[in-house]
Amino acid sequence: MIRHWAPPALAAIPSIALSLAIPLVNRSEPSLFGAPFLLVWIVAWILVVPLFLYAAYRLQQRA
Amino acid sequence: MTPAATALSIVAVTVVCAIGLGIFGARGRHKTPLEFMVGGRSFGALLLWLLMAGEIYTSFTFLGAAGYAYGLGAPAFYILCYGPVAYAIGFFLTPKIRGVGAKYGMLTGPDFFRVRYQSVALGALATFVGFVSLVPYVTLQLTGLQILLSIAGFGAFDPRGAVAIALLTIAAFVFATGLRGAAWASILKDALVVIAVVFAGITLPQRIGGWSATLRAVEHVHPGWLTLAPGMAAHGVEWFVGAVVVSGLGFFMWPQSMAASYSAKSGDALRRNAIWLPIYSIMILFVLFAGFAALIAMPGLKGASADQAFMLVVRQLYPPWVLGVMAAAGALAALVPVTAQLLAAASIVAKNIVGDVFGACADDRSRTALTQALVVAVALFSLVLWFLLNTYLVNLLLYAYNGVVQFLPGVLFGFGWRRASAWGIGAGIVAGLAMLVATGAFGMNVYGINPGLAALAVNALVAAFVSLVTAAPAATHFEEFRTAGRD
Repeated sequence: MIRHWAPPALAAIPSIALSLAIPLVNRSEPSLFGAPFLLVWIVAWILVVPLFLYAAYRLQQRA
Repeated sequence: MTPAATALSIVAVTVVCAIGLGIFGARGRHKTPLEFMVGGRSFGALLLWLLMAGEIYTSFTFLGAAGYAYGLGAPAFYILCYGPVAYAIGFFLTPKIRGVGAKYGMLTGPDFFRVRYQSVALGALATFVGFVSLVPYVTLQLTGLQILLSIAGFGAFDPRGAVAIALLTIAAFVFATGLRGAAWASILKDALVVIAVVFAGITLPQRIGGWSATLRAVEHVHPGWLTLAPGMAAHGVEWFVGAVVVSGLGFFMWPQSMAASYSAKSGDALRRNAIWLPIYSIMILFVLFAGFAALIAMPGLKGASADQAFMLVVRQLYPPWVLGVMAAAGALAALVPVTAQLLAAASIVAKNIVGDVFGACADDRSRTALTQALVVAVALFSLVLWFLLNTYLVNLLLYAYNGVVQFLPGVLFGFGWRRASAWGIGAGIVAGLAMLVATGAFGMNVYGINPGLAALAVNALVAAFVSLVTAAPAATHFEEFRTAGRD
């Protein structure tokens, strides 16, 4: 059962981070290299989306 | 050569090369509707990636994102966010769509509705919605092209004639090559866009002192510009979330995206494609930085002319050949997506209206010929409409997304809810559209909620209610359909 739900859950995490969670991170501090926290958050999540989807892919293959 | 001649000849040569590449890729293929509309269901992960990136990263990405960064600041970040959200959804949804597509021989987006709900009328309704959403998307690309050509031509001539010629050339290209040509032309387009965007995104901010200095300068000139206005303010946080969700959900509902899903040779190819597509979104970050740098280097452009900011700065600061390469990348970013859009618009009319409703042109040869003719007709129609319209690029795109996202309940219920009926799904789509027209025409405020999402909620509720009060479809058909989707 966990196998069944894990791939969608893995995909949901970054999707929520980049949509519904935005009101929570709409701040300029702490900033990184002059970039507001909002932008740092968004870019960081985009970079890890492939890792989440790859993990979902591997789990699906094993199921 | 004058600077304008240098820049414009680079654009022209590049467009000709992309067309040549497309013709090369599609050579020797027998033009059945299957080959013409969905590439014979033979595309692997790489060609899919090129095709989808080709459809997604349009002149809107190129000019609209920079224009939004220039004109509004942080709201432009939504363009970074919706792609990865869409791919995470597409990872699960597109293999299912491909599975039923192969099983039932679907060629177009509306075919999904016709087959699942066993209703030609519902297929026709989906065609109508797809068509009225696609045409603005084509005109959007034409506006992008017009901006690029007028800047690359140093304003020395009215580019509308050139836009018309470019569009008709592209229509002829689609006529000759179909979907496979579009995928191959994307190779040059994607390569050139990556080069142009990375170059501009690094060298423009460099003139201000680098990325950090650019951001600080923006924050200095416009305090608070790099975060979102709170709550329900115009382009505030709630707008942002709504725009990301609608674009993310609507992404794979476009008729041309459905066709791209059908064109995959396996569900696995689509999943691997979805894993790597988010990387391409990082390209948009470079565009945003180019837009911010333009704001510092050339402030004062207002409204729709913000879309021109990035290219105007390039023209001012770089030699004409660099301007030419930039404009060429932008021109391909307009024209390559147009190939897939024209093809999708023509396919749905040929297949789901002329073929399914009127029973005409049902054999392979006449169906392909009709689709080819319609590609040219849709191009002419879009051109006429474009001469009559003109707005901010992002606004046009969001309208169109609000329309196609109305397909979502039909697709999700299609795989998950046996009880969903043709009447239910049709009534839901009509209710969603009515809601969109009401909010748009009367400026109705739905408490800060994105009008597309509000319409989607109404759509889903109506679809569920009407499905429950109309006759249940056959259980065997649903089980067979759902099994085909498990790919």
